[in-house]
Amino acid sequence: MLARSNLCRGAQRAIRAQSQQTRGLAAPASGSFQYQSGEAKGVKFASRDLPGPTTSLALVSKAGTRYQPLPGLTEGLEKFAFRHTERRSTLRITREAELLGAELNAYHTRENLVLEAKFLRDDLPYFVELLGEVAASTKFQSHVYNEEVLPLIHAAHKRYLANPTAMAVNSAHALAFHRGLGTPTSPSSTTPYTKYLVPETIEYFSKIAFAKPNFAIVANGAKHEDLSNWVNQFFDQVPASVTVEGGLACTEQSKYYGGEERIAHDGGNAMVLAFPGSSSFTGKFYKPELAVLASLLGGNSHIKWSRGFSLLGKAKASDETFVQTTSAIYSDAGLLYTLIKGSAKNVAATAHTSVGVIQKVAAGEISKEDIQKAKAAAKFKELENGQDPRAGLVLSGNGLVTGDKAYQIDEVAKAIDGVTEQSVKAAAKTLLESKASVSAIGDLFVLPYADELGLKV
Amino acid sequence: MSAPSFAPFIRSRPWLLKWMEPIAEWYCQKAGYRQLGLRCDDLIPEENDIVQLALKRLPPKEAYDRVFRLRRAFQCSVTHHLLPKEEWTKPDEDRPYLTNIIEEIEAEYKEREDLEAMIITKRKENAKH
Repeated sequence: MLARSNLCRGAQRAIRAQSQQTRGLAAPASGSFQYQSGEAKGVKFASRDLPGPTTSLALVSKAGTRYQPLPGLTEGLEKFAFRHTERRSTLRITREAELLGAELNAYHTRENLVLEAKFLRDDLPYFVELLGEVAASTKFQSHVYNEEVLPLIHAAHKRYLANPTAMAVNSAHALAFHRGLGTPTSPSSTTPYTKYLVPETIEYFSKIAFAKPNFAIVANGAKHEDLSNWVNQFFDQVPASVTVEGGLACTEQSKYYGGEERIAHDGGNAMVLAFPGSSSFTGKFYKPELAVLASLLGGNSHIKWSRGFSLLGKAKASDETFVQTTSAIYSDAGLLYTLIKGSAKNVAATAHTSVGVIQKVAAGEISKEDIQKAKAAAKFKELENGQDPRAGLVLSGNGLVTGDKAYQIDEVAKAIDGVTEQSVKAAAKTLLESKASVSAIGDLFVLPYADELGLKV
Repeated sequence: MSAPSFAPFIRSRPWLLKWMEPIAEWYCQKAGYRQLGLRCDDLIPEENDIVQLALKRLPPKEAYDRVFRLRRAFQCSVTHHLLPKEEWTKPDEDRPYLTNIIEEIEAEYKEREDLEAMIITKRKENAKH
């Protein structure tokens, strides 16, 4: 039997001390999309007090696949999250979180490793303590690695190989940025975990990833003073600076290369046409017109049973063909890419028309109305990001660790408002002038080469 | 599997430990496994889940050495020989290498049992809703 008193300090405090949330659900929201940021004993944090009974809290670390010094380390560290620590076992962490009705989650993107917890508002101290504990005192035991972590990494590898879309996107990134941002987000071969990954190297990487300058705490639905107070208390154990030799890899400015890659695959057909894009709002190369261009080209519909208004949506070869244009933003660079998947014939035809459409936009053969619509769609998507706590958490955390600036969604929306017709056309023109990154996965007999499409590689 | 033992009781009393240590040493030497080159932890019965799991968690070198010791001991047993005296296990080599892992696994199992048996009371503030 476990007595109440055995529960962790933080949990008890949460039960006793936390003041009740005063605002009910129906009351008008005082919170805005604006993040308040601060620093407590060297730990950067940002929060916004969204009204509501739940909180999502995340530790965003600058330890995505871009920064890993050896292949697979990010994946390994992610899978080691919320496992045995000096004070608690994996099982206990899971059970305690279950008892509090919370959700724990760890994932990574190209630039960030995110440990996320979603829970009832009153439990904030417990989860701040938990994140502090996971960051500072996870035990990297070899049997945990062999029994629990390795099978998960292997599954991630298998899942990646079975997914032509993921392969196409990763291949385009590799062509565009080579190392750093080009590193695939999942292990694309078994080499990372047969050659480089052992618990000791993962522990070494954790010392870098969870050093105070390299991570930030971001919360949605928490009072700024509360978060500041608890962050102040629970992050004493994490190293104040990177104390181990080495450090994050590829922190220098990303460079765009471009090129073409073709991979045979029998699980489906996917093509990615990618061009240099815009950095995140918090970065130095922010170009709002590329977000508008992405939504102008678009591809997938916002309306049911219709192809939508976007140019590629109208131009695609068949209704079943999936087309999507994304403006992927990273801290210091970006990639604007069109992803096409479907049957080989349709993918090939759509790839041809896509290039035609971009050429048309660059030549200015585009109505003012379309650009207006695209601007509205881009702005909507940005503001919707604000409502979706997850997107805001990662973007803000990344902004804090790379540039001491939270991702302010209101300001981004304003920047999109300022985009003119000319700047969109000019952006399309520079796309065609720069080198493209083209990757084709699937039936290579049918899928076209870049020069057949009329792109420079 | 770890069995009930007086060892912690004796170890916590230095005067008793001083008194018992030579007897323990004499007993281990008489038990006969050291003459076959085995260590005490090699004698733990392995036909159960906990010890099987513990064996899987041994570092590769330890696991290899264990198999070597066991095979050598079987050979000695079959041929009714003892090892030459210089190959007997020395008292300082006869250290537990498996017991600590077994104890760790038992603690894990016990924690799971405890958590399964936990009685949950709703905290006061939430009970109102």
